[in-house]
Amino acid sequence: METVDLARLQFALTAGAHFLFVALTLGLATLVAVLQTRATVTGSPIHQRMTRFWGQLYLINYAMGIVTGLVMEFQLGLAWSGLTEYAGNVFGSALAIETLVAFFVESTFLGLWIFGWNRLNRWAHLALIWVVTLTAYASAFWIMVANGFLQRPVGHVLEGGALRLADFGAMVGNPAAQLAFWHVLGGALLTGGFFMAGVSAYHLRKRTAEQDFFRKSLRLGLGLALPAAMFTVTFGGLQFSYLQPSKSSVWANRTQLMAETQATMAALHGPGDYLPPVGPVRVAGVLMMVLWVVMIVVAGLSVLLMAFRPAVRSFRPWHWLLTLMIPVPFVTMLAGWVFREVGRQPWAVYGLLTTADAMSPLTAVQVRVSLAAFTTVFAVLIAINYWLLARHARRGPGAVVLGDRPAEPAPAPVPTF
Amino acid sequence: MEIFILAFFALGYLVLAGADIGVGMALPYLGRSGDERREVIAAIAPFFLGNEVWLVATAGVLAGLFPELEGELLSGNYTLVVGLVLAWVIRDMGLWLRGRLPRPGWQAFCDGATVAGSWGLALTWGLLLSRVLLGLEGPVAMVPALVVAALFGTHGLTFAALRLRGALRERAGVLTGGGGEARAYALTAAALLAVGVLAGLRLPLHPGTSGPVLVPVVLALIPFLVASQGWVWWTFRHRVTGPSYL
Repeated sequence: METVDLARLQFALTAGAHFLFVALTLGLATLVAVLQTRATVTGSPIHQRMTRFWGQLYLINYAMGIVTGLVMEFQLGLAWSGLTEYAGNVFGSALAIETLVAFFVESTFLGLWIFGWNRLNRWAHLALIWVVTLTAYASAFWIMVANGFLQRPVGHVLEGGALRLADFGAMVGNPAAQLAFWHVLGGALLTGGFFMAGVSAYHLRKRTAEQDFFRKSLRLGLGLALPAAMFTVTFGGLQFSYLQPSKSSVWANRTQLMAETQATMAALHGPGDYLPPVGPVRVAGVLMMVLWVVMIVVAGLSVLLMAFRPAVRSFRPWHWLLTLMIPVPFVTMLAGWVFREVGRQPWAVYGLLTTADAMSPLTAVQVRVSLAAFTTVFAVLIAINYWLLARHARRGPGAVVLGDRPAEPAPAPVPTF
Repeated sequence: MEIFILAFFALGYLVLAGADIGVGMALPYLGRSGDERREVIAAIAPFFLGNEVWLVATAGVLAGLFPELEGELLSGNYTLVVGLVLAWVIRDMGLWLRGRLPRPGWQAFCDGATVAGSWGLALTWGLLLSRVLLGLEGPVAMVPALVVAALFGTHGLTFAALRLRGALRERAGVLTGGGGEARAYALTAAALLAVGVLAGLRLPLHPGTSGPVLVPVVLALIPFLVASQGWVWWTFRHRVTGPSYL
């Protein structure tokens, strides 16, 4: 492999691992915020327990999202300094706003939410989880603004060999950013919904003691998954009007169209191969759509079935199916991401800067070593996350530590500052 | 203005996160048993998330206001920055995952990750700062790097002395003899600030072109960011009274 391909692989692994974790984070944060709202408003003990149980699963996963996010944040400057030098003055603003409006506030308030449990006023504590959820959305939004610019550059001018931000509103309003944001958000809610339904179905199938708890959770998960599936497909479909000509010709798989696009691009940018790899783009796109059909069918039937108490209690094949569905939204999200990102190749900034030109001047050894190190760490993280989530999900609400009251009364605190 | 914004977040990181990195480095010294270590971690638990985002914000400000420097600094110090990020990930995983399994072996393993990651962070920072400040590379750069790491460690001890109780507090106060805890913290914080400012003065700080759009946005945000952190500091202003969620 060429060094640039290794660097691409490294970026793809980082983004892909991060994307898996944040998809679940966004979905579960929403569900936990809804549960905590119910618990706070009604004071119902079961919803308080639900908040703590799902909140703990959310946190285990969140930790993975945050550490892969840290790596992500440094990837552009590390391996793609050509991109930051050429276009950083434009899409770098979106990244800067993301770190300040979203990442900074989200982390700060999440710390308060975790460690301030039973310490803060309950309404303030509820407000915290909503701030955390909304700033997680904001994070996705500004990242999609940055990504939307790379997909479909708008709002810039070329000056002295580098791009300059000319129209901030145009960059933010870019349909390639706006539509993709809602699409990704829908996908994340779908992921969270199926996760909650699948874990609940496991407990219903095993007839564990918490029937009422998981019946309610199953309803909430499926109740979110079905509308989220409709929502996400709507914003997915709308994006097809904004596909780049090269991606769209490869997707249509029409030889003549591809040749025309190639000829137009070569006339504009000089000789070269301007089409993304046909196989991966088409396979990813088809996979995304097929799995969406699977999910909408399962979610639709399940929403009907969950109206029948006996089915919820003892229809085991259905419970099995729902648990087996947990990975499906993740695979679908990754397929959609491959379709979008591989489909942009060979461009880093579509029509303006190629991926090869975007790379930092690194040696093959440097990239090989870092790739091996990051791959090992991500593999370990994914394995630990899967193992811990499965373990805590199986153990059920009885073993939750989050939000536990301290066993013994704390002695009088002494101020330190 | 761009330079002040960058300095604000970078120096904020050094002082705030410097303390929890230092506590991580001193973890085997401060906590001799699993339970003691858990209490030491509780001293930084509510803060470390809110502290490390100062570096996230610094990277964001670099990306937005100094994109050229961002590329130069990160790709120019590729291996060091990769090492820094990996140490950061390992340390965070140690902190986050420690309490998720009630097994002594697992907790010792996670504590090991926290300590190794904290030392890794302090040393890569030391190497980065000595490269920027003194232009040193190779084995000789380890000397200033160890000095910087020692500074992080001392800063961690002074912070721990402010947060812990009893025997743990005494151990943390070993360098100051137990008195003037707040003054000792202020001193190590000032030393870290000085290192940060001196390194900053050596950097080619030429802002990019998005300042007119971005600077007002960032300036408007800063009071809210500081207020949100202030809420955390106020909520957890008392000494640690027992183990936390971590």
